[in-house]
Amino acid sequence: MTEKVSKVTLESNDNVRIQIDRAVAERSMLIKNLMEDLGDDAVADSAIPIPNVNEQVLRKVIEWCEKHKGDPIQSAEEENDNRKKTTEIDEWDQKFMQVDQELLFEIILAANYLDIKALLDVGCKTVANMIKGKSPEEIRKTFNITNDFTAEEEEQIRRENEWAEDR
Amino acid sequence: MPPMNSFSAMPSQTVPDDIDNTWNYLQDGITKIMTNLQEGIDLSTYMGIYTAVHNFCTSQKASGFNSNANISTGAHRGGTSGAHLLGEDLYKKLTEYLSRHLEELYIQSKAHTDEALLAFYIREWHRYTVAAKYIHHLFRYLNRHWVKREMDEGKKNIHDVYTLHLVRWREVLFERVSGKVMDAVLKLVEKQRNGETIEHNQIKQVVDSFVSLGLDETDSSKTTLDVYRYHFERPFLEATRKFYQNESKQFVAENSVVEYMKKAEARLLEEAERVDVYLHPDIASALKKACNEVLISEHSAILRDEFQVLLDNDREEDMARMYSLLFRISDGLEPLRSKFEAHVRKAGLAAVAKVAADADKLEPKVYVDALLEIHTQYQGLVKRAFNDEAEFTRSLDNACREFVNRNEVCKSGSNKSPELLAKYTDVLLRKSGTGVEESELEKTLVQIMTVFKYIEDKDVFQKFYSRMLARRLVHSNSSSDDAETSMISKLKEACGFEYTNKLQRMFQDMQISKDLNTGFKEHVQTLGIKGLDSSYSILGTGFWPLTPPGTTFNPPEEISADNDRFSRFYRNKHEGRKLTWLWQLCKGEVKANYIKNAKMPYTFQVSVYQMAVLLLFNEKDKHTYEEIASTTQLNSESLDPSLGILVKAKVLLLKPDGEKVGPGTTFSLNYDFKNKKFRVNLNVGMKSETKQEEAETNKTIEEDRKLLLQSAIVRIMKARKRMKHQQLVSETINQIRQRFVPKVADIKKCIEILLDKEYLERLDDDDLGYLA
Repeated sequence: MTEKVSKVTLESNDNVRIQIDRAVAERSMLIKNLMEDLGDDAVADSAIPIPNVNEQVLRKVIEWCEKHKGDPIQSAEEENDNRKKTTEIDEWDQKFMQVDQELLFEIILAANYLDIKALLDVGCKTVANMIKGKSPEEIRKTFNITNDFTAEEEEQIRRENEWAEDR
Repeated sequence: MPPMNSFSAMPSQTVPDDIDNTWNYLQDGITKIMTNLQEGIDLSTYMGIYTAVHNFCTSQKASGFNSNANISTGAHRGGTSGAHLLGEDLYKKLTEYLSRHLEELYIQSKAHTDEALLAFYIREWHRYTVAAKYIHHLFRYLNRHWVKREMDEGKKNIHDVYTLHLVRWREVLFERVSGKVMDAVLKLVEKQRNGETIEHNQIKQVVDSFVSLGLDETDSSKTTLDVYRYHFERPFLEATRKFYQNESKQFVAENSVVEYMKKAEARLLEEAERVDVYLHPDIASALKKACNEVLISEHSAILRDEFQVLLDNDREEDMARMYSLLFRISDGLEPLRSKFEAHVRKAGLAAVAKVAADADKLEPKVYVDALLEIHTQYQGLVKRAFNDEAEFTRSLDNACREFVNRNEVCKSGSNKSPELLAKYTDVLLRKSGTGVEESELEKTLVQIMTVFKYIEDKDVFQKFYSRMLARRLVHSNSSSDDAETSMISKLKEACGFEYTNKLQRMFQDMQISKDLNTGFKEHVQTLGIKGLDSSYSILGTGFWPLTPPGTTFNPPEEISADNDRFSRFYRNKHEGRKLTWLWQLCKGEVKANYIKNAKMPYTFQVSVYQMAVLLLFNEKDKHTYEEIASTTQLNSESLDPSLGILVKAKVLLLKPDGEKVGPGTTFSLNYDFKNKKFRVNLNVGMKSETKQEEAETNKTIEEDRKLLLQSAIVRIMKARKRMKHQQLVSETINQIRQRFVPKVADIKKCIEILLDKEYLERLDDDDLGYLA
């Protein structure tokens, strides 16, 4: 076996090449599997095209991966448990996610595409926290959603979900 | 095939939810992976396929909403309960594609048979599974979302993409070709069993493939061996059975049993190796079982029949072989054990019969050696051929117990074995001309214990042993204290403290006497008297199997003076103890200064009775029988043999010549006595005396046993208070078995005695009660 390459290059869909540590890249299951399948030689000289992500988002994602490259990979069960239990986000991640809404959603989409579960979780939790404690009207405002329910529909939904109301 | 760069041109902007467009694009890539992977896949293709799958799955309702809203539309339109994930179309297309691909492989497979088919199967399996892994990765987005959701909802027929590949393989190809593949495998194995060299790596790969196809329908993360077991193990075991059934039947018909055992042994080893080399470990025990059954169980009858022949001819190696074969099947060895037991018993009895020709003059050593020889021989056999197995050792023990206690020599009574064993021990421990090496002696004592273990009447041994130990101690002709101690500790280990208590006390008495004599000598010296050079032994009455003399005796002046002095000395030390003189055991030496023509005076070693007689001749040269009898006070049973020896040795001359010693005869001193040695031993034990002693010992045994039984019964009743008759009998047998094997009739008799003595009482319902 040839020596493990230590750097890989990613190419965003706006054709910007970014070289990063292999360990950073491997936070993405997509890239990890790719290197496993195609071998080190395939990525040694050429850039890996990332057709769904632009430079700005890619750099942001890489920043997160750099920070978290040493994190232990959780087993599926642990992950499920932790994910369900809490909406807490560590401080660095909170700061990291303080971006405008559009970028936030793009990060989430990129994490989903690149298969970076931990980042996807952080993104979704951030959105969840934005919803928490808000009335429907406030939520619509936050996310810029038009209310397309008729009055009857709205009444029906309220009835169906009565059990979940705080009383 | 389209040029490679068309993949990288795959734009995420192509109408994303058009399944046909997407699939057309994907199919080209998948086909390349399936059929032409060796050429390699470039990065753009890889990312292109992945991205296409991703984009297809995320393309839902893209039109009409801006991308920001995508996140929150999940619960939109309350009619659907949960997000609708796209992917089903893709999954279906992939499934169809795989089926088509495998159908084609199936058609190709028809062109091959036997080893070529194996090669084809293995090659395609390998190619297919490598591709499956790629596609699994490329369809990961489908796996993570659509497949996961379907599986979470409990849909049975949806698998992750890799598993889907295996399921398709199994259904489309495997089910139809596995039979033929197995035929090829079995043909190959048969070739190998017939001595040909084969490419066994092929079989290993087929096994691996079959194992991989064992998917747990309920949990895709687990695998089962069901498929492998059904399609591989089952036919494999069947073929194995058939093969060895035929082979062994034919081999047995044409060869000896011993040859067959060698063959079977080799075959079993071979099959075990086969598992290690190219089979799955799961088959090991089933294969072993099948082989054991066909190669051993089905021929166990003829194997066992051969066992007696092997025993008769000491074919140790073959017996070991038979042992290891029959060891493999359940209940395989039991018949061997009983045959072995019977054989050892017979051998033991025969060995005893050989030496028992003239039982009366049987040397103890010859007898014990005969017993030991058989034991040693078969213990060796158990060790070397039967793996020193506990069960066989038990059979050996049973056999030995039988022939040690019930044989030709014991016909007259079971006491004979312990008696002879005790006598042999005496021979070993007695000082004798033939000096036995210390280590050799210890080894022989260990062997004695081997026989002792089998003796049922251990009390008889004890009786004889203590008598003979007493004699050795009193006559101080024990060969070594160490050996005596070692023997006693061995007996103690075997039978407990109580068994050797008296023996140890006897030993102690001798030690105490030694100190006492030293004290006495000093005492005499301080008195300033020139006494005899005497030595006394004080023997505790309860511990020594000795009886007072059977005759009156008037010791001569010279002796009684010293004797009385010692008595006073002793009484002074231990008030209130009664000393009984065992004259029959006393001995001494006298110097004969009267003999003419002697360059130096003869010394006679004599019993104290003889000494008393000889000292009379200090007064005058001639005495009548009556004179001697009245002075010594000895009765004729003691006097006659003592005189007899003196006459026989020509120390005294008898008148009238040739007459029997007795009243009316006269004895005169022989001044012309001649002997080659200057020390003449005249204190020779009389045959009749020992014979009588033996008879006496045997008689006391019966008495002692009754007491032993009674005390055991009382002990039991004291503890239990109330017991059924039958129960008491069996309990008594249990307690007493260590010493001898009691007869039920004797126990009943003892119970009667105890009832008479009112230790026990009869209660209703066949119960016995204890009376305090």
